[in-house]
Amino acid sequence: MTWRSPLALMRDALRGQRAREKDLRNLVSNLPYEGLEKAKQPNRHFPSNAIKTTKYTLLLFIPMNLFEQFHRLANIYFVGLAILNFIPVVNAFQPEVALIPICVILSLTALKDAWEDFRRYQSDRKLNNTPCLIYSKEKQFMERRWKDVRVGDFVKVVCNEIVPADLLLLHTSDPNSVCHIETANLDGETNLKQRTVVSGLLFEPESFSGIVVCEKPNNNLNHFKCYEKPDKERAGAGIESLLLRGCTVRNTDHAVGFVVYAHETKSMLNNNGPRYKRSKLERKLNIDVIFCVILLFTMCLVGALPPYLVPDSSGHLDSPSLSGFYMFFTLIILLQILIPISLYVSIELVKIGQIFFVTNDTDLFDEETDSRIQCKALNITEDLGQIEYVFSDKTGTLTENKMVFRRCSIMGTEYPHKENIRLAVLGEPESEEEVIFDQRPQSLQTGWSLDAEDTNPRDTTQRRGSRHRSKVTGIAQSDVAFSSPLETEVIPDKKLLQQISRAESSSGSRKTDPYLDFFLALAICNTVVVSMATAQRRRSDNLRYEAESPDEAALVYAAKAYGFILLARTPDSVTVRLPSGEDLVFKVLDTLTFDSNRKRMSVLVQHPITKEYVLYTKGADYAIMELLGTPYAQHHLDCYAKEGLRTLCVTKKVVSAKVYESWSVDRQRALAAIDNKEELIMDTAVQLETNLSLLATGIEDRLQENVPDTIMALREAGIQVWVLTGDKPETAVNIGYACRLLEEEDLIALVIDGRTLTMALSPDLQERFVDLAKRCRSVLCCRVTPLQKSRVVKVIREKLKVMTLAVDGANDVNMIQAADIGIGISGQEGMQAVMASDFAISRFRHLKKLLLVHGHWCYTRLANMIIYFFYKNVQAYVNLLFWYQFFCGFSGTAMIDYWLMIFFNLFFTSAPPIMFGIMDKDVSAEVLLGVPELYRIGQGAGEYKFSTFWVSILDAFYQSLVCFFIPYLAYQDSDIDIFTFGTPLNTISLFTILLHLSIEIKAWTVVHWVIMLGSVALYFVVTLAYSAICVTCNPPSNPYWILQSQMADPMFYLICLISTVVALLPYTFHVMRNSITPSPIVQARHLDRLDHSEREQWIKEWRSF
Amino acid sequence: MVKQEQELDNRPDNTAFTQQRLPAWQPMLSAGIVIPGFVLIGLAFIGIGIALFVTSRSIQVLEIDYTGVAQDSPCYRCSDPDTKDCMCSMDFSIDTLFKGPVFFYYGLTNYFQNYRRYGASKDANQLSGDLKYFTNPSSDCSPYQYDNDKPIVPCGSIANSMFNDTFKLYQIVNGTRKQVPLDGKGIAWWTDYNVKYRNPSVTPLENAFNGTVKPVFWSRPAYKLDPTDPANNGFINQDFLVWMRRAALPNFRKLYRRITEGDYAEGLPAGNYTLEIAYNYPVLSFDGEKKVVFSNVSWMGGKNEFLGIAYLVIGSLCIVMSIVMLIVYAKFKFPEED
Repeated sequence: MTWRSPLALMRDALRGQRAREKDLRNLVSNLPYEGLEKAKQPNRHFPSNAIKTTKYTLLLFIPMNLFEQFHRLANIYFVGLAILNFIPVVNAFQPEVALIPICVILSLTALKDAWEDFRRYQSDRKLNNTPCLIYSKEKQFMERRWKDVRVGDFVKVVCNEIVPADLLLLHTSDPNSVCHIETANLDGETNLKQRTVVSGLLFEPESFSGIVVCEKPNNNLNHFKCYEKPDKERAGAGIESLLLRGCTVRNTDHAVGFVVYAHETKSMLNNNGPRYKRSKLERKLNIDVIFCVILLFTMCLVGALPPYLVPDSSGHLDSPSLSGFYMFFTLIILLQILIPISLYVSIELVKIGQIFFVTNDTDLFDEETDSRIQCKALNITEDLGQIEYVFSDKTGTLTENKMVFRRCSIMGTEYPHKENIRLAVLGEPESEEEVIFDQRPQSLQTGWSLDAEDTNPRDTTQRRGSRHRSKVTGIAQSDVAFSSPLETEVIPDKKLLQQISRAESSSGSRKTDPYLDFFLALAICNTVVVSMATAQRRRSDNLRYEAESPDEAALVYAAKAYGFILLARTPDSVTVRLPSGEDLVFKVLDTLTFDSNRKRMSVLVQHPITKEYVLYTKGADYAIMELLGTPYAQHHLDCYAKEGLRTLCVTKKVVSAKVYESWSVDRQRALAAIDNKEELIMDTAVQLETNLSLLATGIEDRLQENVPDTIMALREAGIQVWVLTGDKPETAVNIGYACRLLEEEDLIALVIDGRTLTMALSPDLQERFVDLAKRCRSVLCCRVTPLQKSRVVKVIREKLKVMTLAVDGANDVNMIQAADIGIGISGQEGMQAVMASDFAISRFRHLKKLLLVHGHWCYTRLANMIIYFFYKNVQAYVNLLFWYQFFCGFSGTAMIDYWLMIFFNLFFTSAPPIMFGIMDKDVSAEVLLGVPELYRIGQGAGEYKFSTFWVSILDAFYQSLVCFFIPYLAYQDSDIDIFTFGTPLNTISLFTILLHLSIEIKAWTVVHWVIMLGSVALYFVVTLAYSAICVTCNPPSNPYWILQSQMADPMFYLICLISTVVALLPYTFHVMRNSITPSPIVQARHLDRLDHSEREQWIKEWRSF
Repeated sequence: MVKQEQELDNRPDNTAFTQQRLPAWQPMLSAGIVIPGFVLIGLAFIGIGIALFVTSRSIQVLEIDYTGVAQDSPCYRCSDPDTKDCMCSMDFSIDTLFKGPVFFYYGLTNYFQNYRRYGASKDANQLSGDLKYFTNPSSDCSPYQYDNDKPIVPCGSIANSMFNDTFKLYQIVNGTRKQVPLDGKGIAWWTDYNVKYRNPSVTPLENAFNGTVKPVFWSRPAYKLDPTDPANNGFINQDFLVWMRRAALPNFRKLYRRITEGDYAEGLPAGNYTLEIAYNYPVLSFDGEKKVVFSNVSWMGGKNEFLGIAYLVIGSLCIVMSIVMLIVYAKFKFPEED
């Protein structure tokens, strides 16, 4: 390493900074510079591929972690108090001892952080040392590690390997220059995606002299733009040529790419870490903590005032005002536990426990995909018990998102496909299978015999067998994308088959009959990837369609059923086998991909025989209708929609050579552009998609199992269910009926479409819309865009101040994030919703147990635990200490040894409330599911009301009065000493606190007994041991042999007994009230005690009532 | 099938614990449990209450205030803080035998031995006989740490303020005074006397105190606290130990002596008595009062009627409440019988 002046180093650093910040980056190959020192490397300014997700370093762990922890206000408060204790005039305890609780809490948290960071470090190291192949001077690919990858390197990835950095694809082993990748690690989508080599570029690492100009790194997974300047002409490349870090290469032997982003890869930029949401309960809790602060200050003021009131009382060495001032701080130190330091830690522990139980529920486990419920947001479990509004998407949420080709209408003629209806209606997989076995040979026979050629019995049996096999693997493996049996099974309509064979024979070799065009369009106009069976993705079927959306797969399979078999797709061509057995290779001139603005996609091909340029477009009906050149009767589409079918329109347009030429110039320009690339591309697409002529189709999306039942239960639970869908109103209404969201006898149901909704959500109408919606039993919004969905959720949430939950099975990230709780259904389509969600479930029906049972439990448990915690902190010590101040001249004396006070909070009374928060079960899951009305308890203010807080504080005050004054009166005027007096107080306090909890605990399991009895035993063992060992250890206090002598005195037991009983006596009113007018929960608990059959009977009666 | 099971490795464990189905006891506080429970608690409490009350009633207590605030009090003369070495005597009579063993207490009111900074003002190491702290007492003792630059032993406010009135009790028998023997042994806590407080192992004890001074308010140094018994000196002097165990409440009594010997082993017979008081301890400055208390003790300690009454009241309350509940339930019916 040669010496360089600091100035030069600084200049270089600045240049690097500028290079990173620039909107466009110029990258060159590293190859010519290999072996040179770092300063000469052209790409040295860009970070290397080594990742570091750890937060701390070994040396700086302690200061950094402390800094992190002091972001929490409570920690600062307690450290402040501990420091205050070091000032002699105000200290209440030995200063060192006062540091213990905060140190314990800080170090526990630090330990947890250190452990997590260490885990991150381990996984980083593993990832950084993963081997990969980098092209080197030796003219071959050398094995290096991921962390060695630099921007400007050539990296080779072989099949089934994970891509180490964002690569610009330059070369693949595939003859068609494509590379298939699976992005499951990024977005969870398991279908294969096709990436193509940058066009117009020969791959030769040594002679790669061009400059790659790419944009600044960003986190958009579906967007990338760059161009290359080998010489003068530019070659543009987009996301279709980018291999993202974290993807797996499939079905391609190897691929070579140029590293454009290392470290700043799209997947890394997308990794934002867990989101932090604050639950409603926690927000309320914080208000109550503020009340505690006020209470504390009031109590301290009361304690600090006496020096003023009694001007010259003995013993005060300072002036009254000064001593009052000191006393105030002394009392704050003494009574500090009133602010529940351990509450926050306990809440976190409780939530971890609750999440453990939620994720371990076998009822929320889906066998088909082998997935459990995932809790991504760790701190809003209790919000699940307070939901008032559920917003649900339709596709993939209520429905399976497994599409079946159901009916079609060609040239104004309807083909109902009656056989398919049968197939779709039969819900049970087993029976479905049998029906198919019974029926298929027959119908297929007719189908294929009408076709008059290629009728091959061997083929049918083979297909039947393969179907069976694919079903089994479909259950066991989660990597199956849209090839479940349903959409592969389409039974052709007889009439339509006849039409096709007639058309085939009549049109001869020209093949331009509308019937043929329709099926050709189905087969061609999509982005379905045909994959061959490879060893890695075990498939017995040798043709496998990998579609990005299930409707595409459904259509391709439909075409296949009619004999139009999609055989292969490359970026430049599509091969389709016609029913006649002839293979046609269409040249693909361009693909105008789907986007949510246009809501359609088009493929421009050149017909191999007629040499015509043909544009096939497919899209949502309303997106197509406005582009039709010839008007078309809406009748059939409406009819489909009423049946709940999703309608798609397929169109065809013949483009003249001249139009194509001029258009393709525009197109090329748009593709090479960096600025406004999307708009330009979209504009060119829109230019072409005009004057279409229509062919139509309808496909069905099956409802998921138990959807109506779940929706019914949610409504009985007092939850408003809204369905927001992009479908047309008729479809939406039909689905509404199917899932019992709408019912015949419904009085008011609101069905509103997107355009109206925009108006309704305008600021001046908002109030009235919300008011109207509130009065409706059900609301259905159709034809709404994702943005509108999130606006609806936001408006309802803000105007009505209610807890909202959004469920989505696809990509409505906005809606999910707008709601208090976002739930993603890891279903068929994209996994973006799941990635953005707080909880991810696999079936809609899981929502029922998640909300009604786990939501209820989590909420009541946590609410009760928090109330109990406030009670405990006020009752235990704080008030006892406070009352004692009236008898020790407000001097801040504690009558309990400080160590025992710490133990009391840390050991003797900490475990029971945590256990209570995790494990208490007020009502069993069966009753909660059977009587959804019980869910209403948590809604609105819920159990944790403002009044509940104050009642429990008052109760604590009462109990502390009892716990202090009964021993006080009993020991009055005797020769009792301070700590002998404190011991029964301490013991009474412990018993009252634990018995109070015992009354609150609704179901005692072994764990409860062990922890409760263990706490009592621990108290006596530890206190006895401490009082036996500690002779002079804690000077102002004197615990030596105190408990021992107390326990030898019968009075101790008598005082403890009566104080505890009197303290808990008011509970009888509670009991009386519950017995006379039982609350729903109490009634439900009575139900729980009945045996199974009796309970069923009861629930039935209750329901009918 | 077996293969399929194995492949589902995400399946949660189906145990009673993870599925939250542990067998549980679900107590319901219903009338059927509460009413009999209350009756039982009530009866038990009334029983305990009667026992406590009767015991408490059988305890005899005699209190004599000798502060001397009132002008007709024999000790009025002595209550003036300027009077030194003042003696006064209080006469009293006992009607019936005051059963022994009789405990003889002195009592103080409005005296905050539990004041925090007062309580901290001592040196535990010094008191456990560590000679290092004789020459260099803990700063906790301030302002009673040094007197004219000489370390105070025992230092601190508590020791300094030790109660120093002394009492002699005489029975008037046929006009002559017969001294009642007072037993000062074993009046302090056993643990204080044997474990917590230690004299330095220097003989004679006096040598350990070389270079130190006695507390400001004391008339005699610690090693001469009890001239009659050389073993009862230094930090293990019984009166000193009693004083050092701070009272919990501002009105307290502390054991002075026990009457267990000679003719008085059975108690104090009826008759006239004279209490001779060496009046040294000033209490008027803080509105305090001084008294002596004679009491005999039972298993429940000294006389305290509160606890017995409390048990009786709560016991009766439980009974009354159970009756009320019974009436209420009779009207509303027992819900679980539906």
